[in-house]
Amino acid sequence: MNDVFIDVDYAQIYKTGQKIGGDVFLLSRNPDRNQIVCTLSDGLGSGVKANVLASLTAHMAHKLSFSEMDLTHSAKIIMNTLPVCKERKISYATFSIVDIRHPSLDDIQVNLVEYDNPPALLFRDSTPLPWDREMIDLQRDGAFKKEVLSRSVFKMSVGDRLIVFSDGVTQAGMGKGLPLGWRLDGVRQFAQQQIEANPSISSHDLSRAIVRKANGLDRLSSKDDITCMVVYARKPRRTLVVTGPPFTKEKDELLGEKLRAFEGRKILSGGTTALIVSRLFGKKLKVDLSCWSPDVPPCSTMEGVDLVTEGMLTLSKVATVLEEKRSVRSLPNDAVRKFVEVMQDSDQVHFIVGTKINDAHQDPSIPVEIGIRRTIIGRLRKALEDNYLKETSQEYL
Amino acid sequence: MGKKERVTVRICVGTACFVQGGADLLLYHEFLDPVVLANCEIEGVSCLGKCKQSDANARAPFVQIGSVIYGDMTQERFCTLLAEAVNA
Repeated sequence: MNDVFIDVDYAQIYKTGQKIGGDVFLLSRNPDRNQIVCTLSDGLGSGVKANVLASLTAHMAHKLSFSEMDLTHSAKIIMNTLPVCKERKISYATFSIVDIRHPSLDDIQVNLVEYDNPPALLFRDSTPLPWDREMIDLQRDGAFKKEVLSRSVFKMSVGDRLIVFSDGVTQAGMGKGLPLGWRLDGVRQFAQQQIEANPSISSHDLSRAIVRKANGLDRLSSKDDITCMVVYARKPRRTLVVTGPPFTKEKDELLGEKLRAFEGRKILSGGTTALIVSRLFGKKLKVDLSCWSPDVPPCSTMEGVDLVTEGMLTLSKVATVLEEKRSVRSLPNDAVRKFVEVMQDSDQVHFIVGTKINDAHQDPSIPVEIGIRRTIIGRLRKALEDNYLKETSQEYL
Repeated sequence: MGKKERVTVRICVGTACFVQGGADLLLYHEFLDPVVLANCEIEGVSCLGKCKQSDANARAPFVQIGSVIYGDMTQERFCTLLAEAVNA
């Protein structure tokens, strides 16, 4: 697994009265090449029309940045393809493309292309860092204005943040107390304060804070779509999930060693598994009868382990919740909710799957479907990777 | 007369017990006589190990009252057994 995690998230508030946004954010990861591409595009106007322009731009920019094509050429293709606005008689959408490749911890290459969006900000911890941008004049046939593309290549290190936003952020508050809006300096200052106040602030929280502040400056009735995306390079938050007893008793000790050696949060899923670990660690296992729902048995507590749950019922319910991308807030206060919260709060999840067959599940009269452990872990991993972009790994014991 | 010791009750919350009626037993606050409840120390246990014994006559859900493990537990039977244990 990687020693570096690129935390990317964005927050968005639509222009007041709009049900659809004219700013579009796209993210894709290619774990095999350790590559992440994120795109932010702002379409001309607002509402559906802007969304069409921005979606088209973002998708094209996205696809083209994965290809070998020259960037200037790609930009020209995008602009030539965009439909023309009926009122303004021009075709136009801005974009920022961030292409990150991170082969190792101390080599995070960023390739940033910006067209007409406010310039992105780079922070090393809480200090803003300037960098050189190469300006490319497009000189496209049929252009209605001078088109300048900015391109820059730089390195990020662990603890760095790149903040990209639409003009809805920099122009927030315009005419409502701020003559020229929030402006780049205002955004930079605010982001710096946020990072100083909470040095490990996640991309999710930082982007949300910026967007909320901008909306506040607009007195909660935004004049444009407000979108902010944050890229944060940091050490990954790891979680270990142990489920099922090892195939042979002799391997119990090995399981204990793996658990002790693991740095990060630990979840035990399975009654017998918990009993084995409780015996190995000499720690008492206590069932918490206040935390259960009719679908899932209660969780337990054990010193040194973050969460202890029942096995198959809980895991299959967790898999369903993650597959359906259900919100945590809609879940009852039970083991599933706690499990999902830990999953969402992790970047990398490692599963140790015990292969011993549980005698108690061989009874044909058990009224619910109890799937095979492996199948459920497979579903969990797929949901975590596809829906939540987490990295997962697995081993059998 | 000295103060009577409370009866220790352990409800199995393992998968097999939970799906076969153990979940109903966890609602003990709702169906147990408060007087009986006040004299019991109820806790959950991740597995009592009974479900794995093929020779066992009884079936899940299992509950341990004092030192005896009972199978085929239902809410009614739980009430009766606990009342007997408390009044013993």
